[in-house]
Amino acid sequence: MSKLQGKIALITGGNSGIGLATAKLFAQEGATVIITGRDQVTLDTAAREIGDGTIAIRSDAGQLADLDALFQQIKTEFGGLDILFANAGIFKNAPLADSTEALYQELFDINVKGVFFTIQKAESLLRDSGAIVINASTVAHVGTPGASLYAATKAAVRQLARNLSMELAARRIRVNVVSPGVTHTAIFGRLGYSEEQAAAGFAHLAGEIPLRRVGQPEEIAKAVLFLASDDSSYVVGEEILVDGGYSTIGTPGVQR
Amino acid sequence: MSKLQGKTALITGGNSGIGLATAKEFLAQGADQVIITGRNQQALDLAVQELGDKAQSILCDSTQMTHIRQLAEAVKALTPSLDIIYINAGISEFAPLEHITEDHYDHVFGTNVKGVVFTVQQLLPLLNEGASIILCSTAGVQKGFPGASVYVASKAALAGFIRIWATELAGRKIRVNSISPGFTNTPLFDKVGLSEEQKQGAMELYNSKVLMGRFALPDEIAKSVTYLASNDSSYVTGTDLLVDGGYKLT
Repeated sequence: MSKLQGKIALITGGNSGIGLATAKLFAQEGATVIITGRDQVTLDTAAREIGDGTIAIRSDAGQLADLDALFQQIKTEFGGLDILFANAGIFKNAPLADSTEALYQELFDINVKGVFFTIQKAESLLRDSGAIVINASTVAHVGTPGASLYAATKAAVRQLARNLSMELAARRIRVNVVSPGVTHTAIFGRLGYSEEQAAAGFAHLAGEIPLRRVGQPEEIAKAVLFLASDDSSYVVGEEILVDGGYSTIGTPGVQR
Repeated sequence: MSKLQGKTALITGGNSGIGLATAKEFLAQGADQVIITGRNQQALDLAVQELGDKAQSILCDSTQMTHIRQLAEAVKALTPSLDIIYINAGISEFAPLEHITEDHYDHVFGTNVKGVVFTVQQLLPLLNEGASIILCSTAGVQKGFPGASVYVASKAALAGFIRIWATELAGRKIRVNSISPGFTNTPLFDKVGLSEEQKQGAMELYNSKVLMGRFALPDEIAKSVTYLASNDSSYVTGTDLLVDGGYKLT
């Protein structure tokens, strides 16, 4: 298992959920992993979990000054990067009438502006034939009440992969997207729900999914690994939906 | 390299090009048994010889319903069940609208659409819980090219199959996806009767239409098929994976 032997990989938001699962998988595959997040305590715990040699850097993806400091540190310590997983993002929902300017700003600052400038600032450090993977979402493919702003941020970054693939093609840097469906992470906890409520929430959502279960972070991580490794050497500007069939199937529940 | 340890796979059209490269990759990933089908016994024998003793072949012309109707019986003689089926067999024939004949239409749709439906239906009882079905589509569905209307339409039909079958088969935890290769360096190119010079010219023309500036190697498509075939994609169903070197983008 050494698909990423000798590679240096940056995973933003690598201290929990999909980011953490991906960091662990990348490390298992031989990569040196750098993770970022907003909370030093969870970063340190995550780095220990991922294993020796993991670098954890406190950095808010929505703050350009943080990004500048992050890439300066990577440049000094490593000189370059092979893989960037632009994973940091937040989920918040609100119906149209209750969507405030502050909510709009928060979602777009982290999920779009943060991703765009992370890639911009990473570009000069990325080696030729590197890989960029952006974390989007299946919600950009379906209508979900209350998720309009979140879905719009994810549709925006899905499109980024197309345009940036064109711009980076001369350096053979591939930009692709992973779009998870409902994934078993701490998302409900972050929205203020109890563990019991979170379990009930996931169980309810599982009923909406053809495979009748929510995804595990490790399953998303494997798609990211495919896109980050040479296994996907002819895949560029493309997206992998890892959603148990959620977005492609209109009315699950029929015929079972 | 043991992503497919313990798995038994069937690949239609597995004696050359992408199908053969996929058979090799499946075996390299530890598959127990790989069965390939094709319509030329000699080509099948050569392919099996190349693949080694975990490979077997079935003579089956995917353009012939009579062959397709006997496929399950032939498979049962080799294995009681299957974990992976990759429907790679298909025909690429092109004609501009004014030259489309009923024969052309019937031949392309008969193989690429009807043939796929009844091949999968035949094999369905043999599929294990958690099996993976992969249909071979084309990047032409995303961005077409002149002369390919009937061919592209036949491949576009597969999008309907994968979505609906994914739902219908989810109860058995069977996943259904498709792969859409872009221009790929396969012997198909040699079969259409071009001179070496014409072939070179065509390659240059097509290369210029691909962001990566080159054709795919069959092996690159095979690795994507392997992702969809293996448990690495355990939460991926009802979707298409485009492997086109950026052809769609340019």
